[in-house]
Amino acid sequence: MTHLLSIEDLSVLIRRPGRDVAALSGVDLHVDAGEVVGLVGESGGGKSMVARAIVALLPGGARTRGAVRFEGADVLAMDEAALATHRGHGAALCFQNPRGALSPTRTVGRQLTDRLTTHQRMDKAAARETARQLFEAVGIRNPARRLDAYPHELSGGMAQRVMISLATGCAPGLLIADEPTTGLDVTLTREILRQFRHAADTDGRGVLLISHDLASIASVCDRVVVLYAGTVVESGPVAKVLREPAHPYTRALLASVPDVSGRPARAIGGAMPLLPSPPAACPFAPRCAHATERCTAQRPPLTGDGWAYACFHPQTGGGAAAPGAPPPPPRGGAGRGGVGGVGADALPRPGGAPACPPPPPGAAPAAPVTAPPPQRTAAGRVVMEIEDAHVVYGSRFGSGGHHALRGVSLEIRAGETVGVVGESGCGKSTLARLMLGLTAPSSGTVRLDGIDLHAQRGRKLRRLRTRARLVFQDPVGSLSPRRTVADAIGEPLRALGVPAAERAERVAQVLARMNLDPAMLRRHPHELSGGQAQRVGIARALVGDPDLIVFDEPTSALDVTVQAQILDVIAELAGDASRGSVFISHDLATVRGFCDRVVVLYLGRIVEQGPVEEVFGNPRHPYTRALLSSAPSLDGGYTGARVELAKDLEEADAATGCPLAARCPFATDECRAEPQHLTPYGAAEAACWRVPQIPALIREGAHTRA
Amino acid sequence: MRLLRFVARRLLQVVPVLLGVVVVTFVLVRVLPGDPIRTILGPNATDADAAAARARFGLDKPMWQQFLDYLKGLATGDFGTSIQSGTSVGSELALRVGPTLELVVLSVSLALLIAVVLGVWSARRADRFGDHSVRILALVGNSMPEFWLGLVLILVGYSALGWFPAPSGRVDPDTNLTPLTGADLLDAILTGNGPAFTSALSHLALPVATLAIVVVAPLLRSVRASALEVLRSEAYLAATTHGLRPRTLLRGYLLRPTLVRLPALAALVFGTAIGSTVLIEYVYSWQGFGQWALRGLLYRDYPVVQASVLLIALGYVIVFLIADVVHAVLDPRVRI
Repeated sequence: MTHLLSIEDLSVLIRRPGRDVAALSGVDLHVDAGEVVGLVGESGGGKSMVARAIVALLPGGARTRGAVRFEGADVLAMDEAALATHRGHGAALCFQNPRGALSPTRTVGRQLTDRLTTHQRMDKAAARETARQLFEAVGIRNPARRLDAYPHELSGGMAQRVMISLATGCAPGLLIADEPTTGLDVTLTREILRQFRHAADTDGRGVLLISHDLASIASVCDRVVVLYAGTVVESGPVAKVLREPAHPYTRALLASVPDVSGRPARAIGGAMPLLPSPPAACPFAPRCAHATERCTAQRPPLTGDGWAYACFHPQTGGGAAAPGAPPPPPRGGAGRGGVGGVGADALPRPGGAPACPPPPPGAAPAAPVTAPPPQRTAAGRVVMEIEDAHVVYGSRFGSGGHHALRGVSLEIRAGETVGVVGESGCGKSTLARLMLGLTAPSSGTVRLDGIDLHAQRGRKLRRLRTRARLVFQDPVGSLSPRRTVADAIGEPLRALGVPAAERAERVAQVLARMNLDPAMLRRHPHELSGGQAQRVGIARALVGDPDLIVFDEPTSALDVTVQAQILDVIAELAGDASRGSVFISHDLATVRGFCDRVVVLYLGRIVEQGPVEEVFGNPRHPYTRALLSSAPSLDGGYTGARVELAKDLEEADAATGCPLAARCPFATDECRAEPQHLTPYGAAEAACWRVPQIPALIREGAHTRA
Repeated sequence: MRLLRFVARRLLQVVPVLLGVVVVTFVLVRVLPGDPIRTILGPNATDADAAAARARFGLDKPMWQQFLDYLKGLATGDFGTSIQSGTSVGSELALRVGPTLELVVLSVSLALLIAVVLGVWSARRADRFGDHSVRILALVGNSMPEFWLGLVLILVGYSALGWFPAPSGRVDPDTNLTPLTGADLLDAILTGNGPAFTSALSHLALPVATLAIVVVAPLLRSVRASALEVLRSEAYLAATTHGLRPRTLLRGYLLRPTLVRLPALAALVFGTAIGSTVLIEYVYSWQGFGQWALRGLLYRDYPVVQASVLLIALGYVIVFLIADVVHAVLDPRVRI
């Protein structure tokens, strides 16, 4: 039987003057119609190269061996005419960055009808009508109006939907999605991934889903292929590869993702090599805890039928994400256990290290054993105090504007780490800007160290600002490209007027704390990897010994394995008793890793807050329940009753009543009329009057649905 | 509607700009050394003659009075009387602006057309032979001085080949062209005078070619650079991987984003072209605006200098306004 797509022993060698890179070395994989195949691995592993090879768009200087057969024909040997049909109609690519991949000067409707008229031979009127239907199918509201929108007028999630509709508009046999959900929040991620499953199930397309995040794509894939340094290390059905991975790399990859159930992330040490020629040995051996001499002498072949792996020492038993594992022990800061995981001993040994007998099946994965940290003194001094803050971004002309925060009160004490979660657009970043004094509240006060931040001017304000620092989302972009690492880290000290000698000393100290080589000081940002750059960013925030550090999605731009390393660093810092930390993220799992308290924001309001265990283990507000329900997880994740919000993502008219009322399955007329205030329920607070009734309501709902 | 409001607002802003230009030119031209009266009267004139001439042009009044008179004249459309020729500046202007404007507009349009076609063509063959030849040719054109290029074109086009008329005048007087705007080609079209049209066109060919060759290089380089940027952009790559037809790709995904940055540069080039006309008019013996403004400046002919600077300023403002509007039409991200 021929597959829709079958890649046979594909090798891609990129020859550049002075440096060759073996991007792919003997890759075998296939995709059938109606099947969703996940392609996972760290960046640099060759995932995008596979995607480009399928549409025969390899970079200049690429030499290929092997074959990419699409419906039997070798794509790499096609002539221009055959390629023109193959691209789009055969295989269509969804790009990672939808904003960048949409042409900025053409309406999205035109871009879609271009594809329809090219590949489905429609006339203009029919194409426009089909375009409208396609927009509707991917969940774009007001599709007729959106057809005339330009890409810059769309939000990130909307742009991604348009990108999907463009790819499906080519009516491809194979849909390839390159990291389709990077940078999207949990609810959107789920929505978008569902679109791909839908394309496979109802339209019978083959789908190749490329991602570095195993957890998020696990739920929609039939099979998974794991790439490492341009080689397939493991492939097989999702149930096998993700539940009982055999290859140590797959295990490491799985373990480096924190889980919403509370299992902390464990980092793999080292980095993926860029190979100048196809590897003669196991490329993962240098980072592998199970590696023997044989691994460094011989390259393990990919063996197995259906479920295959390239390893001499395949592991058995449940992986980091063993199903049916009992919930992890109550967390006494177990998240900080990840700290010990950097370096040679970094490989997780889920299912037992070779020295230990394997645990009984279904046993809890080896949770890092660390002594619980000393109980935090809740009475640390207050470093940040926000009282009933509102922020309105006025429109450029006239009245109106965007109400980003609507009455947020928050207190952060020294030694405390507060997580802030919510969907994109809920006001997380505005809250960060507020705490740093970058945005002034329209009403309410923000006090840093007891001083009203927005009443200060000039030198006083500048000095006060050094007490609160920000760690940015984009690690490389937030460093000046023309300044060395030493300059970047020393900058806050220069602003304080610290003399050069002392500055150098303190920079060296903080660099050591970040586990960075002192030789790094003379480098420029473009010479740093993402993980190193983020360490520099954290060092820069830390060097002035501030009272408050705000981490604004510090890991979302990084590879999963690097994420785990950075999370370790942040978790260690968050332990300092002299400082308060705020961790902003749309990824619930990372927040659960090491925060003490968590604040859930929705449309500029706090809807629930409380101790992390309380909020995640026993959520009260429907919104928190919904967020937890949609969080991707391999461990079974959130075990409570699931709550689905209505799809409506448009900002509801939140002037009166509960802002969630338009999307909430439990909303009543009272919810729509009465504003909700935070009310204590147990150890946490939630802004919903129906909290006591919700468990019963969920049971009822389950009954009626069943 | 938003566009109209933008244009209206910008046109209102023109008033203070022009007022500033009027004041500065008025003061500057009088502060500069040199005396127009002495220049026209010659060395043998007596002081009494000079005083009489001064009184005739109103130059004996205090400066503020002269300025007020000048403003009053401007308000009624009177640019004053040329000291040099004694005729009304307004009528001289009307005679000379048309031909020069025609020359500049035709040249810049031709240069833009060549730049877009060759620039995109060149970018699609980046670093191949055709691309290199186009860029070298553009560079050569850019580095030749316009007067020299003009002379070479006359030598080749008139003396050697005889394809074009002698470089004297802008239209054959035998064609009995009725002047309307002063721009001969336009007048020939307006009056439906076929022979005059052919004659004006053949007279225009060499000067337009000269000016276009001189200004095409920066436009071409800019078009090539932005076309390359678009070709390498993810958006274009996405359109390519979706297998769109080459024609759709060129028209919908390459051309418009490429042209987005061109208007601003084109406006600047337009300004350069106005400056270049001085020499080109000289080489081709045209009685154009450039020649007239230059002579006015050399003889310190106050009203002529004032009128020409004001006109150039107005031209700049309008050209940049057009550039901004075109930019906004091309690029949906621009808010105006």
